[in-house]
Amino acid sequence: MPDVVIEVENLFKMYRLGTISTGSFRRDLQRWWTTYVLKKQDPYFQLDGEFNPAAQHQSILALQDINFQVRHGDVMGIIGSNGSGKSTLLKIISRIVRPTSGTVKGRGKISSLLEVGTGFHKELTGRENIYISGYILGMSKDEIRKKFDEIVAFSNVEKFIDTPVKRYSSGMYVRLAFAVAAHLEPDILIVDEVLAVGDADFQKKCLGKMREVSQHSGRTILFVSHSMQAVKTLCDKALWLNQGKLKAIGDVNSVVNKYLATTQQAKLKQHWHTPAEAPGNEWVRMKAVELVPHQEVFEEYLDIRTPLTVKFQFWNMQDDVLLSVGLHLFTSNGECIFNVPSPPAHCDKGIVEGECMIPGNFLNDGSYYISMVIVRDTSVELFNFNECLSFELEDYRENLQWYGKWWGAVRPKLPFRLKQAELILQ
Amino acid sequence: MVSSNGKWDWEISNKTSFWSHGVKELWLYRHLLQGMVRRHFLLYYHQTVLGPLWVLLQPILTLVTYMVVFNKLVGISTGGLPPVVFYASGIILWNFFSDSFTGTSSTFRENAEVFAKVYFPRIIMPVSVLSTHFLRFLIQLVMFLLVIVYYSVFQGLTLPFGVWMLAFPFAILFIGAMGLGLGLLFSVVTAKYRDMTNLVALGIRLLLFVTPVIYPLVAIPEKTRWIVQLNPLTPLFELFRLSLLGEGSLTPFQLLYSVLFTVLVLVGAVLFFNKQGDKLIDVI
Repeated sequence: MPDVVIEVENLFKMYRLGTISTGSFRRDLQRWWTTYVLKKQDPYFQLDGEFNPAAQHQSILALQDINFQVRHGDVMGIIGSNGSGKSTLLKIISRIVRPTSGTVKGRGKISSLLEVGTGFHKELTGRENIYISGYILGMSKDEIRKKFDEIVAFSNVEKFIDTPVKRYSSGMYVRLAFAVAAHLEPDILIVDEVLAVGDADFQKKCLGKMREVSQHSGRTILFVSHSMQAVKTLCDKALWLNQGKLKAIGDVNSVVNKYLATTQQAKLKQHWHTPAEAPGNEWVRMKAVELVPHQEVFEEYLDIRTPLTVKFQFWNMQDDVLLSVGLHLFTSNGECIFNVPSPPAHCDKGIVEGECMIPGNFLNDGSYYISMVIVRDTSVELFNFNECLSFELEDYRENLQWYGKWWGAVRPKLPFRLKQAELILQ
Repeated sequence: MVSSNGKWDWEISNKTSFWSHGVKELWLYRHLLQGMVRRHFLLYYHQTVLGPLWVLLQPILTLVTYMVVFNKLVGISTGGLPPVVFYASGIILWNFFSDSFTGTSSTFRENAEVFAKVYFPRIIMPVSVLSTHFLRFLIQLVMFLLVIVYYSVFQGLTLPFGVWMLAFPFAILFIGAMGLGLGLLFSVVTAKYRDMTNLVALGIRLLLFVTPVIYPLVAIPEKTRWIVQLNPLTPLFELFRLSLLGEGSLTPFQLLYSVLFTVLVLVGAVLFFNKQGDKLIDVI
């Protein structure tokens, strides 16, 4: 079998914005009559008409000049923010929509899982749905019959297999639907975000199945996900789409790291040259505030292992005062995680500086912001600087087969001991 | 670019072809066709009291209505045939045509979700609808044949045994083909223009009146008979009655007109369906 199984060349996909046609036959006919036969202006796209004139020509390029190859046995992750064209690309490769120009050539049977439960009908029983869904996904009768027991066992719905799926719980429904898909055996498998479903236990099973499929059968997989952790574990290559353009392709770690480095929306540093322009009041004025990550050992972006130091400087306009600073750390939805006070210090007019270290392996993954409050005599609030810094921490997991959202605001590495205490002797 | 030479199994581009699927590909999806037919049957009779009996009950109840309204109240002649036999033949043929047509004409609207998520030859869906209605028709046909036998044994109906009797499957075949052809055509049109759905519903109701279902062609005054003769279904209905019951008016020219019309519609519709089908996903 030749090496390259999918070749994408100069692929473009254009979507027109607004209505494609006027939506009714009478108006389309009238439009055709006035523009083509009478050679007059389009009655439905006039300057002062009911449609915006710009809308007619406005179009969006969902994909622009995409070129890449996928080799046999590649497990390629497709990453990018929402609206970057990932789904469009998958839909074109799976033959659901046509490209505007360019070609996709390939070898071997291709199956796509863009949704869980495609072709399921709620009135039919689990058994009937397994068959129909399997057929729609391109399996043959023998194939399904051979794998039927395996599918049922995988989904844990043995007892309800002859019950209409409308009486299933949503978890059961999703499990059964995924089970059918997981037992497909195409040469090329296209998967879109199916991991977002089900409970933790089932997610683990799904990922395990996917890994088994990719590693042991040497199958080619294209995998779209928003979980960078899942992409990193499952894939060996990655393709990054940004606003319809191919931004990077290659080794999964380097592409994912580059992607994360640009997506982290962080306010890591603020500073002011003169007290006049700085936030503050007659007592204190901010000079600088900065979050310094100690990431030389790790990656180009911040993850939960990265130790962080908050450094700040402010102008103090009072003589002989007792000052202290409080740092408040909030999650993006406003929950306060901690409020750390500095030891008080005697200060005179001039610049005061301080720093506080947040250790690595302490916070959970997510978005955070920091507020700072300057206090006199440990009781009078002089100035509260809200949201002076913000940052995001990416997830990092080792030796774990679970990719759901980790609970909790913090994820500290606490001293934890576990051992066998006693043996039951028989 | 490594080893991109050699043959590709498939290629996707913006060109949509008229003959989009090879026979080989359709063969690969034969189980899907089977499965869909099974699913249609299961869904029709799901949570019904009488279940599959409805296949027979529905035409029987229609027959009773026609007997009361058209025969007893209005008094339309059924020619030389007993009204029950005449109406039964018209009803099962007409149901086959109209169900096939309306069923296939909603292909894109009913399968939009599935079409947007998975690829398979789209034509499988309308063909499965046609197959379902064909199977239902076959069951009704058996009942109809039993009625004929009863009438010939107990009521003295004379049946035209002869070569002509072999012609009735052709009538059925072409009626099915016409239903599918028109259905495919309108499935594309109604997907693009929602308002055509109303036209389809209205059209099929009006078409019933210019098809010899409740009256034989000869019962129409000569002056206006051409309206009914213009309908390509008319010769097929007449052929069916002529071959099985020995009564029907038909010229070879009319039959040729009907056959040509059906073939043209079906071929044109399949080409149109294949060509437009892929583009429609962006619209529906």
